[in-house]
Amino acid sequence: MNLLKNWKIHFMALILAVIAEWIGVKKISVGPGVLLFLPMLYAMILGAFISWPKIKVLKESETKHATEVLGLLTLLLVTKLGIVIGPSLAKIADAGFALSVQELGHFLGTVILGLPIAIALGLGRESVGATFSIDREPNIAIIAEKYGLNSPEGRGVMAVYICGTVFGAIWIGLIAGFLAAMHIFHPYALAMGSGVGSGSMMAAATGAIATVFPDQKQEILMYAGASNLLTTIVGIYFCLFISLPVTNYLYKKLSPILAPKRLKKDGAAK
Amino acid sequence: MNWSEEILIFIVAGLVTVAVSITGYGIPATDALIGCGIIVGVTIAGIAAAKVLPGNLPMVFWVSILAIGVATPVSPFAGFISAYTNKVDFLAICTVVLSYAGLTIGKDLAMFKQMSWRIIVVALAIYTGTFVFATVIAQIMLHLEGLI
Repeated sequence: MNLLKNWKIHFMALILAVIAEWIGVKKISVGPGVLLFLPMLYAMILGAFISWPKIKVLKESETKHATEVLGLLTLLLVTKLGIVIGPSLAKIADAGFALSVQELGHFLGTVILGLPIAIALGLGRESVGATFSIDREPNIAIIAEKYGLNSPEGRGVMAVYICGTVFGAIWIGLIAGFLAAMHIFHPYALAMGSGVGSGSMMAAATGAIATVFPDQKQEILMYAGASNLLTTIVGIYFCLFISLPVTNYLYKKLSPILAPKRLKKDGAAK
Repeated sequence: MNWSEEILIFIVAGLVTVAVSITGYGIPATDALIGCGIIVGVTIAGIAAAKVLPGNLPMVFWVSILAIGVATPVSPFAGFISAYTNKVDFLAICTVVLSYAGLTIGKDLAMFKQMSWRIIVVALAIYTGTFVFATVIAQIMLHLEGLI
């Protein structure tokens, strides 16, 4: 039985989670906002340290088991949010149009901000794979099928995937807490923004927003859950049929403007 | 991973969540056990539905449908389910899930260290972009519709 063989992973998760909750929420004021440190962030950072191969606490097979376990456990978040949504389905329906339109922000926000920066920093076709989506598992499958993972596009998507595993949740949790504490956006809008389509990133963002606005916690969980569900289910089709072609089109248009030298080099290589 | 192992993993993770709810959120043990039990049970039932039902739809789809379904006012158990699961804080589940997430990071650290600073900047822009653009559009839409 794999579970018994990998008992250490579950034992470590228990210890990490209890220690993280014991430390509790910490806030540091920075400029106009607040850096909000939630227990889940400590749990993640401590976990990263423990699973670092140099420490030799966990074997490679054990961290692989943790990856399989994580894939299942993000569904617990989905269930919890589903049960929050259930009683308020009518309310969700009222906001249905807003929820649908904001998904454009999720799907195209990665390209709008990421692609120009990637091209300007000198990434070639890697920028297409890197910025067409938030690059989690379903998105990797799209690139793998279209270009193969050994292509520049494949390297781009894999590089961002690894970045996402290492610091995606931490970053998005901090950004969400910071923006929430600035009180520019309504908590419902921030909640919808949190549904980015990755379990741990959604958790970090939603948790931060719910901590800043504790009185609206139920509504925040409800809108975040609905938005995340939409992003996850519509995401595969949207990324395949719209995001990827749009990213390719913009790459062709933006490259001559942002990286004229690179284009000449590409031309010479051909 | 086989079926019985998946169920066992959920039971173990459910117990971890019970422990976190008791120690971190001061929830009485029986409430935490029933609340986590419901969440784990619905999740397992959703996964089972995904495996058995036709259409090859992703697990997350069936789990969501089931979770929303059992909590809608039409469901005879809605009151009971909401009362107990509301006691299990979303943040407690987050802490447990991200503990496991942390334990997966180590295997990617070697690859991560070889990465250029450029791709890290790009990744930060991607996550910021998806969150901020969706939030801005949601704010505008909710405002136009008079919902906020």
